[in-house]
Amino acid sequence: MVFVPVLLIFIPIVCGVFIYLIKHPWIYYLSLLGQLVVTVLAIFYYQEFSGQYSETFIVFGLWDERIGISLRNDALSMSFVFLSIFMWWMVLLYTMYAKEREYNFLFFLLFLEGVFLGLMQSNDLFNMFVFLELITLLVTILIAFIKTGESFRAALYYLLLNTSGVLAFLLGIILLYNTFGSINLEVIKSQMHLVYDEQVLIKFAFVLMLGGISVKTALFPVFTWLPRAHGVAHSGISALLSGLIVKGGLYMFLRITSIFEGADFAYHNFFFLIGFLTAFIGVIFALSQKDIKQILAYHTVSQVGIMMMGLSHVDEKVAFGGLLHIFHHAFFKSLLFLAAGIIVAQYGTKKVAKLRGVFKTMPILSMFMIVGMLSITGAPFFNGFISKSVIKYGIEGDIRYWLLYLVNIGTATSFLKMSQIFFGDRQLDIAKQHVIHYIPLLVLSLVCIMFGLFYIPISDGFFGIDLSYVSLFKVSGFINYGITLGAGFLLYFLIVKKDPIFIKKLRAFNLSFDKANYLFVVFLVLMTMYFVI
Amino acid sequence: MMNPILTFLVVLIGLYGLSTSKNIIKSVFCVTITEAGVILLFLNLGNFEGGSVPIFLEGLAEIVDPLPQALMITTIVIGSTVTALALMLCIKIFHHFGTVEWEEVLRDRGDL
Repeated sequence: MVFVPVLLIFIPIVCGVFIYLIKHPWIYYLSLLGQLVVTVLAIFYYQEFSGQYSETFIVFGLWDERIGISLRNDALSMSFVFLSIFMWWMVLLYTMYAKEREYNFLFFLLFLEGVFLGLMQSNDLFNMFVFLELITLLVTILIAFIKTGESFRAALYYLLLNTSGVLAFLLGIILLYNTFGSINLEVIKSQMHLVYDEQVLIKFAFVLMLGGISVKTALFPVFTWLPRAHGVAHSGISALLSGLIVKGGLYMFLRITSIFEGADFAYHNFFFLIGFLTAFIGVIFALSQKDIKQILAYHTVSQVGIMMMGLSHVDEKVAFGGLLHIFHHAFFKSLLFLAAGIIVAQYGTKKVAKLRGVFKTMPILSMFMIVGMLSITGAPFFNGFISKSVIKYGIEGDIRYWLLYLVNIGTATSFLKMSQIFFGDRQLDIAKQHVIHYIPLLVLSLVCIMFGLFYIPISDGFFGIDLSYVSLFKVSGFINYGITLGAGFLLYFLIVKKDPIFIKKLRAFNLSFDKANYLFVVFLVLMTMYFVI
Repeated sequence: MMNPILTFLVVLIGLYGLSTSKNIIKSVFCVTITEAGVILLFLNLGNFEGGSVPIFLEGLAEIVDPLPQALMITTIVIGSTVTALALMLCIKIFHHFGTVEWEEVLRDRGDL
């Protein structure tokens, strides 16, 4: 039972290899079978170890634990493992009867699952680097899989920018190894408070590692790869990237900051500011876009900013709100991307202005999409409300509260703009959809509502954190949501709808690769100045 | 033995190239240069004057730290994969856009 993490990594990869080699129509079901085995194993593993995570530590090849490859699980990593498995179920079911059903595609998809599960459970820094770089490579291939010029340039942009980020991360690992003589997270964490005379090196390592992670997470100055990549990929892949793969960066943020706890760096305010800038700039750009997938991609940037605002807070309760928002965002954003993918496939266009009458054409799909929109804007009884409230409770009466409010108003405006696609008359006769296409949408919508209603037992059961102070039936929640929607309405009809000149300028904003890299270097220098000097 | 500062300079040269070059092929090369700098830096830290290779012929004495070498082999493999994939994408981009200049490739946005 202790070696289940290894199986979790290798079962998807081996299934993928068999699918790639055999290429028979029936072999497709091997992916579902492998997925089933992984799910069952993960559940048994969780039941056996949920109370005693200290026994989950594995070192391979009988090496010393300070230098060997090691895996380790705790509540955080297990929750991410379950989230990943769930997301892969959704994407596999979604792509089952789609055009994307190709063996090579499935091979890369399943390979990515194994690698991602590896990143979640890995306990040494070099392993993390290898998994990060593998994720970059596989995601590049999956983005380019649609084989258009746009996807190739987006994939190359993604590959090169993320590789330079991951190299910065590797440089940080080198500095840590030089100081501690170990690459094991636990060992470094336990020795961190002993460092006195090499503080500068440690600080520099901290800057480099978090700078590298910021690229993977698409934080403020280095987010430009995300809308490109997520906007052009297959819808299933966009859902996976926005829902899960960017969260890999946030998971790394939690892990890496936890090993620097002993050194006591004051990073909270800095990352709150970065998170706010990410959220704000992301939502401003989302307002200016006309392409439905670009809008959703920029909203991922903005929501990642909100998660960062939560996670970077000193108070554990607020940080838990950020963590909760990671999960909730995974559900509603993949729901929106999958639904948008079906709409785009039916209408043959991605332009919001040309998509009209969706509600009359596809009523069931529109219901699912409305659930996603209500969740992302934070309506009561949906999951977005819970996580945003948990973050808000901790920062009430602070300027940070109003900053978060501002971002929420922007989100509401943008989704009011997008909801225009529902109005209008029936425009076209839709092609018959396979019913299995709708299963992931149905499950994701139900999960969104379930997490919005039964948040107390869920968070108590998994993390042991009591959320009963968040009340669904408080009047202030409804009033806040009403004010947010009202302000969004005004903003939309007074400014955004008229398409003024500055919004046109924002839409034409196009950052070249060398400038993006320049921003990355500037970001590293700024962080160095803030933390080291 | 090389100075760690000098190898760090290689990293900086790579980063400078990445943030100034307007050509896609040059960007790929600059990633490789940065990677080479990082690898040299790590190998340097485990190395010392007169150390022998970490193969147990004459006992454990006087060998360099083997861990950086083991790790950097992996990094070199990953680096070559990245370069190969990036160059493949360059070929595809050239076929689609007829150029390998970043600005010309990124200029035309179908989503506007």
